Amino acid sequence: MAKAEYVKFVDVTKCDGCRACMVACKNWNDLPAEPEAFQGSVQSHANVTANTWNVLSFIEHENGKGNLEYLFRHSSCFHCSEAACVKVCPEDAMHYTEFGTVDVNADKCVGCGYCVQNCPFDVVQLATYKDKNGKEYKKAQKCTMCVDRLEEGMQPACVTTCHTDAMEFGTKEEMLKKAEKRLGEIKERFPNAMIYNPEGVGGTHTVYVLAEKPSVYGLPEKPKVPTSAVVWKDYAQPIGKMMLGATSMALVGAFVSNKLFNKEGKDHEEDGGGSHE
Amino acid sequence: MTNHWNDLQHTDCALIIGANPAENHPVSFRWLLKARENGGKILSVDPRFTRTSSQADIYAPLRSGSDISFIGGMINYAIENNLFHKEYVAKYTNASFIVKEGFDFKDGLFSGYDEATRAYDKASWSFETTEDGKPEKDETLQHPRSVFQLMKKHYSRYDVDTVTTVTGTPKEEYMKVAETFCSTGKPGRAGTILYAMGTTQHTVGTQNVRSYAMLQLLLGNIGMPGGGVNALRGESNVQGSTDFGLLFGDLPGYLGAPKELPEHATLAAYLEKETPKTGYWSNKPKFVVSLLKAWYGPNATKENEFCYQYIPKGNKNYSHIALFNAMYKGELQGAFLFGTNPVVGGPNAGKEKEALSNLDWLVAIDLWETETASFWQKEAGSDPSKINTEVFLLPAASSYEKEGTVSNSGRWMQYRWKAIEPKGEAKADMEIIHMLMRRLKGMYKNEGSPAAKAMNALYWNYGEHDHPEFDLVAREINGYYTQTGKQVENFGMLADDGSTCSGNWIYSGFYPEEGNLSKRRDNKDTGMGNFLNWSYAWPMNRRVLYNRASADPSGKPWNKDKAVIWWDAAAKKWTGNDVPDFKAIVAPSDPGGTNPFIMTKDGVGGMFAPTLNDGPFPEHYEPFESPVPNAFSSQEFNPTIKVWDGDFNLKGTKKQFPIVATTYRVSEHWQSGSMTRNQQWLSELAGHMYIEMSEELAKEKGIKNKDKVIVTSARGEVKAYAMVTKRFKPHTINGKIVHQIGMPWHFGYKGYATGDTANRLTPHIGDANTMIPEYKAFLCNVRRAD
Amino acid sequence: MVEINLNRRQFLKLSGATAATLAVVELGFNENEVQAKTKEFKIAKATVTPTICPYCAVGCGILVHTKNNDVVYTEGDPDHPINEGSLCSKGTTIRQLFTSEKRVMKPRYRAPGSNKWEEKDWGWMLDTIAKRVKETRDKTFVEKSNGVFVNKTEAIASLGGAALDNEETYLLAKMMRGLGVTYLEHQARI
Repeated sequence: MAKAEYVKFVDVTKCDGCRACMVACKNWNDLPAEPEAFQGSVQSHANVTANTWNVLSFIEHENGKGNLEYLFRHSSCFHCSEAACVKVCPEDAMHYTEFGTVDVNADKCVGCGYCVQNCPFDVVQLATYKDKNGKEYKKAQKCTMCVDRLEEGMQPACVTTCHTDAMEFGTKEEMLKKAEKRLGEIKERFPNAMIYNPEGVGGTHTVYVLAEKPSVYGLPEKPKVPTSAVVWKDYAQPIGKMMLGATSMALVGAFVSNKLFNKEGKDHEEDGGGSHE
Repeated sequence: MTNHWNDLQHTDCALIIGANPAENHPVSFRWLLKARENGGKILSVDPRFTRTSSQADIYAPLRSGSDISFIGGMINYAIENNLFHKEYVAKYTNASFIVKEGFDFKDGLFSGYDEATRAYDKASWSFETTEDGKPEKDETLQHPRSVFQLMKKHYSRYDVDTVTTVTGTPKEEYMKVAETFCSTGKPGRAGTILYAMGTTQHTVGTQNVRSYAMLQLLLGNIGMPGGGVNALRGESNVQGSTDFGLLFGDLPGYLGAPKELPEHATLAAYLEKETPKTGYWSNKPKFVVSLLKAWYGPNATKENEFCYQYIPKGNKNYSHIALFNAMYKGELQGAFLFGTNPVVGGPNAGKEKEALSNLDWLVAIDLWETETASFWQKEAGSDPSKINTEVFLLPAASSYEKEGTVSNSGRWMQYRWKAIEPKGEAKADMEIIHMLMRRLKGMYKNEGSPAAKAMNALYWNYGEHDHPEFDLVAREINGYYTQTGKQVENFGMLADDGSTCSGNWIYSGFYPEEGNLSKRRDNKDTGMGNFLNWSYAWPMNRRVLYNRASADPSGKPWNKDKAVIWWDAAAKKWTGNDVPDFKAIVAPSDPGGTNPFIMTKDGVGGMFAPTLNDGPFPEHYEPFESPVPNAFSSQEFNPTIKVWDGDFNLKGTKKQFPIVATTYRVSEHWQSGSMTRNQQWLSELAGHMYIEMSEELAKEKGIKNKDKVIVTSARGEVKAYAMVTKRFKPHTINGKIVHQIGMPWHFGYKGYATGDTANRLTPHIGDANTMIPEYKAFLCNVRRAD
Repeated sequence: MVEINLNRRQFLKLSGATAATLAVVELGFNENEVQAKTKEFKIAKATVTPTICPYCAVGCGILVHTKNNDVVYTEGDPDHPINEGSLCSKGTTIRQLFTSEKRVMKPRYRAPGSNKWEEKDWGWMLDTIAKRVKETRDKTFVEKSNGVFVNKTEAIASLGGAALDNEETYLLAKMMRGLGVTYLEHQARI
């Protein structure tokens, strides 16, 4: 039976920055705290990490009229429809779920890190663990969209806890309709407001209404799946794997990733959130 | 709160001043944003652009400590532009009352001031009365000595130009706030004022709140859904612990504690002196005697004044500042701390820490090892070998490891079920109190000293074992008939002859014979979002206080879309979406039928308040420490505050400390931080102590974002990260630049998230009425740490 | 225990999904290791108890999920009219009030001049505290002053209570007034 596609709709203009979404995620997913150094703002982490799957970013932005806007964005995995991480994963650990979202199968993940290298949003990270003998190994980690909750008919933990309804979860069709409606309501206050659901990655399952241009939030204007990622998955990887076996593949892969994969649509945006202190 | 959280959705305009609900009461925004969806406006007035400001329609900065100026200007604006609700003001407030000749106000002082005692003789602040003792009125509000005309004159000095040079608010933003909020003066519209400690923690804190109340009465906003003066209280049960008299001046239910005075020497004298002849408080003897019966049980008889004599009678102010002053001087020998951490949270906290070493013994009941419980440790900067205080730390159960109720800001008394056994050997506070009391009573049982007599008389009947029976406590609070043991229906049944008991009359009604209503979980909206069958709201399950004022004098709602209660002429009673905060069968045409404020002596709202220590009208004074002279008078700071002497209250000069400082909280931590800094996830979210400052000040001082800086005041210094932000802007005060900085006060050296304690900087000076410390406006300086 | 309606605000209508055998990665909390194994749905078979948030005075409803004498999850109570299932960051994490390793597990005593805590049993602590209270009280108790019965001691202070339950504040006020304590104060001012 075909399932509908589901989307987490984030209306950043309704967010008041309480960060319940960050801790709801830790609480549901039993993730440890990983305190970071002082960021110079209220923001706790520079970016999402392997154990911090969503981060609320705090941005002080002076708009065209010279007025100060204090902008917040719940940032987490976009769950792309054409996900680079799924494309490059040599073990099919990264996969699409029945809800259209992207998840990691930890049993399959060998910690090669291709997904980390190729994510146009810098979302996927490797977590380090130790086995019984004290040997370290890595696994890719990121927001699962609480797929275990979805399976039980429950919404993601971050959405459930959001007290301003800045986040909602529902069918793609319904959420996109809501986003359109909301955009109309806020245009007067935020003339640069837009829906962020980039085509270059086939659309996403975390869809935003942003108050300002993507660059203000440090987001790529037009992210896409790197061409090299397509090449790797479709050609190089099957051959290499045959020759080397999985573990050495990881090493080679990391090398190849670093050298060859240009994270297109990303580098030039790095300074996009410049107004953020 | 006069209203409650869900009711915020009905507001046409929310003026948020002295509060930052998006950070400190986040879920309030669920309802504020609903109001905005319905066209309501949100105004944020704050020295700093906060997460609340980010959601506001209008943000207006003000300098800390200038609220009365800000609101006084709005009162003036509403009067001058005829925006006030005339019928409401004339009928429902004392604006029409005539003040006696002799009342005067000159250069910041009201009539009756005595410089030697720093106090007023309030005799001239009273009303003309008719022969039968009722106040003389002029409902046209034209009489030159009417409250209205005096108020008009008083606030005519608060013109926009003067006001904005004092507050530092850009004029354009000020006007937007005034226009938008005063538009709620139109009959049928409702504006709400939301405030918290940003309002109260000043030497003029009480008068700050008074100014809000006056503005709200002027605009006809009290009693209305979406209206009111709403204190956003900061602890889960600070409402309840206040209601239950955990403050020296009040017995449970706001029954003033008797004092060491000849007028209080007997129960009869005390009741005679303290019971007003009119208004609901005329029932006070019933509440006092029922309380005595709850406390002294069968030992309380008519013959022994119901054990009234055993109630301790003090002769001074025993509030926080006075308490630590006494401790510093060695006047105290022992202390209990129930989940409180003054070494982080107290004013001039460094000195409060020193004071603790003068105690012989200290009992801390807490979930955590707080900075206060471990004040003697080396990490606290102490030399343990020199501190002789014995410290007892008793592990307490958390809120869901026991059963009990808490009262939220909207006065909803909600029951918490026990989810799990207490962690480790922790015990519920109730159990600890009970076990201690059982031991003490046992030790005194066979003694006959005065100290023993007082103890032996106290009725402590919650079971003959160490675990107290919760239900017996709950039943006693509600009260029961002492003859039959049956629960009283509500406080209307209480009597002054010993036939009833009630541990707290305002709660009486939550536990009638049919059961404990605080456990109710029927979440069907019974109308106007009042949820009358969810938990229980004191008093009498009323959700919007003074709701008689939501209807016009004839009993018809001012606005049918904002209808709370109305007079049903056919049924001859008040009916509607809430429990009437009024006698349900008193018709609008009956005597008192248009007096909505039943708790006041005259049944109307007080524009003129002749009982406060610092004046019947709020007047702007500068904070105890201020960088500028008072633009309104030659009185620099509140002339009636107690100025404590000695090195506990050092005062900084503006020359040495030219920068205004304030303290505040963040979403992710709670109060002194002991609850939240001891948890990893919240410590991760807000892990560092910081000082927020403007880009302009940072530039002046050569400070870059993330630098370590040192902030100094006359009391101490703290080291922290600089958070240089566009959200703080320098104020322009009377043409001069005045800088302001701010900092969270959650930090200490214990827990996962540690940092210097902001309160080492704050002054030991309090409000003239409440003695609440002036945490929110003091002077400091700042420099780079290296 | 009350009956709780566990409907979330907006249930998704997914067909026949069960997760009891779903293989997911379980990250050992506070442990630097990962175990891949078949895991039961996190809150399956947990006992759910409604409570009210212990932080600010909005009074949000929270559900506490407990299993095997541990708190496995805390979340907003969807039936609560104020928060309707949502919470802020503090309310969301009340689970760690129980799980935090910083909780004081046993009574502790610090002797005069000592630089360390000693663990003691409850009986000793309560007996000793009662003794101290009685000594101080008996030494400083004033029955009458200026012809008025005052029955007080000004040598003992009691601070705090804003985080206690109403029933506890009631007993605390009763006990302290009963002892004759006048320095009675809680966090309303600070």
